[in-house]
Amino acid sequence: MLLISRLFKGLDKNWLDAIAVTAWGALLLNYWLNGSLSILIHPSYFWLAAFTGFALLIIGSIKAYLLFKYPQAKPSAAGHVSLLPGNWAIGLLLVTAIAGLLINPRVFTSSKAIQGGVTENSAITRSQPQSFRSQVKPEKRSLVDWVRTLSAYPEPDTYSGQQANVSGFVVNSTELGSNYLLLSRFVITCCAADVYPVSLTVKLPADQQYKADAWLAVTGQMITETIGGNRQLILVAKNIKPIETPRNPYEH
Amino acid sequence: MEQLNNAFTLFLSLLVEAIPFLLLGVLLSGLLLFFVDERKLVKLAPKNPILGAFVGSCIGFLLPVCECGNVPVARRLIVQGVPLPVAVGFLLAAPVINPIVIWSTWIAFRDQPEILWLRVIFSLLIATIIGWIFSRQGDVKSLLQPAVALSMAKPLSEEDPEKPTLLRSGNFMLGGGESLEAKMVASLERKPQFSLAERGNMLLDNTMQELRELGGILVLGSALAALIQTFTPRELILGLGQGSVSSVLAMMLLAGLISICSTVDAFFALSFGGAFTSGSLLAFLVFGPMFDLKGIGLLLSVFKPKAIFYLFALAAQLVFLLTLFVNFNIN
Repeated sequence: MLLISRLFKGLDKNWLDAIAVTAWGALLLNYWLNGSLSILIHPSYFWLAAFTGFALLIIGSIKAYLLFKYPQAKPSAAGHVSLLPGNWAIGLLLVTAIAGLLINPRVFTSSKAIQGGVTENSAITRSQPQSFRSQVKPEKRSLVDWVRTLSAYPEPDTYSGQQANVSGFVVNSTELGSNYLLLSRFVITCCAADVYPVSLTVKLPADQQYKADAWLAVTGQMITETIGGNRQLILVAKNIKPIETPRNPYEH
Repeated sequence: MEQLNNAFTLFLSLLVEAIPFLLLGVLLSGLLLFFVDERKLVKLAPKNPILGAFVGSCIGFLLPVCECGNVPVARRLIVQGVPLPVAVGFLLAAPVINPIVIWSTWIAFRDQPEILWLRVIFSLLIATIIGWIFSRQGDVKSLLQPAVALSMAKPLSEEDPEKPTLLRSGNFMLGGGESLEAKMVASLERKPQFSLAERGNMLLDNTMQELRELGGILVLGSALAALIQTFTPRELILGLGQGSVSSVLAMMLLAGLISICSTVDAFFALSFGGAFTSGSLLAFLVFGPMFDLKGIGLLLSVFKPKAIFYLFALAAQLVFLLTLFVNFNIN
C-alpha cells in the first residue's frame, strides 16, 4: 500500500484517472476477446462486461484527449471528500488493471472444490436446488444433470445399469479408496464468487490413477455400491479419455 | 500457489461483475442531477410523519445515490425545509431504493429472489420506522448541528430565487468550497452559466471522480472477500455462517467495517452465499448501506453525535430483529 502511495505521489491525478479508466476498459475488452470472461462470470453477462469495456475505453480516452488539449484546465471537482488517502484509490484501480492484463485468470482447481465441500453432502453448498431435466436420456445427461436428477430422486437403485457419458475435473478424496475419484464440475449462477462444486464418484479400472485437476471424459455404467456405510451411485468407468480444459469450465 | 490463483480468479470475477454496475450507477446519478429538480420534491414532501418518512425512503428512485452520496443530498433536503422524517427516510433507504442497486441485487440473487424483495421491504420499513421515531422529537434543532438548524430557520422564500438550488445554504460538502454536484445543477438554471460542452465536462469529471473513489473501495472489498473465501478454514466459516444469531452478527459487523458501495455490495454478499444464512446476507445488504463508517464524518455535518448514535442503534436493532425472524421462520 505504501509503495502504491509513493509510486503515484507527485504524478498528475487527472492523468492517472484517465490511464486507470482506460486500462480497465482495455482489461474488460481483453477478457471478452480472449475468452477469459467465461472463467469469471456467467455467460449471460458477457455483453455487460464488453459494453462497460467499450464505455470505459471511450470515457478514459476522452479524458486523456481533453487533458492533452487543455493541459492548464483545472478539474471541476473542487470540494470533494476523498474516501481513501492520497492517490490510493486510483493506485489500487490501476495496479489491479495492470495485474489483470499481465496475469490471466485461471480455472479454479480441486482445492477450491474441496474448500467448497465437494466431498460432503452437497446440500449445504447450494443456495437452492436447481431445475433438472429428467426427460434427458441417461447417456446424454451432463454431470450436473446427473447430480440434479439424483437430488430429486435419490434412490440409487433407480439408475443402476444406466449408461453415462460425463466430463469434469478430478478431485481425489482421502475418504475414497485409491481406485475411486470424484469427477467434478463447478456450477455458476452469477460470477465465480458463487460457484459451487458438484461431483459423481467414479470407480476406475484396476491399474489407473489420475492426478487432481486433470480433465476427463468418462463413459461407463451406473451401479449402486456401499462406501463408508453409505449406499450411493457409482459410475464404473469403461472408457476414460483425458480432455482439454473446456473453454467454458462451468455448468449453469 | 494454487490457492493464490483461486483467490486471484475470485477477486477478478467480483470486479468484472461489479464494475459495470458501478459505472451505470455513477452515470445515472450524474445524469439525473441534470433532470431532477429537488425544489419540486421539497414542495411535494408530505407533512404526515409516517407518510413523509415512506415517501422520503422512496425518493432514491428519483435521486439514485449510494451511501457515499446520500448524506450531502439529505443535508440539502433538510436545509431546504423538508420535514425531518422525509430526510431521515431518504438518508437510510436511498442507497437501496435505487434502480441500479435493485438490478444488481436481482442479478446476484436470481436463485433467491426473496433476498431482493426482503432487502427492499426491510430497507423501506426500517427507514420509515426510524423517520417516524425521529418525528416524535418536538424540537428537531436538538438533533441537528447548529449551522444546519440555523439554515432551516431561514425560509426558502427568503433566498434569492435566481440562485441555483445546490448553490443555496447547506449545499456544500464538509471540505468546503463548491461541490461538483452544485455546479452540475447550477448548469440547469434559467440563466445558463454553463455551455453544453462545460456540462459534459462536468459530467465527465464527476464520473471519473466517483469511479476513482468507489472503484478503489471496491478493489479493497473484493480483495477481502476473495481472501476470506479462499483462506478461511471451511469449518470456521460454516460454524459462524450457519448459526442463526452468529451469522447475522458477523455479517452486520462486516457490513459496518467494509464500506463497499451499495450498487455492487450484492456481489460481495453473494460470495458468502453458500456458507451463510439468508438472514445474515440480508443483514449485510440492509445494514451496510445504512451504516457506513466512512460516512460518519459527513453525518456529523448534519446531526449531533447523539442523533447519529440513535440513528444507527435503532437501525442495527431493527435489522437484527428482522433478519433473525427470517432465519427462524423463512429459511
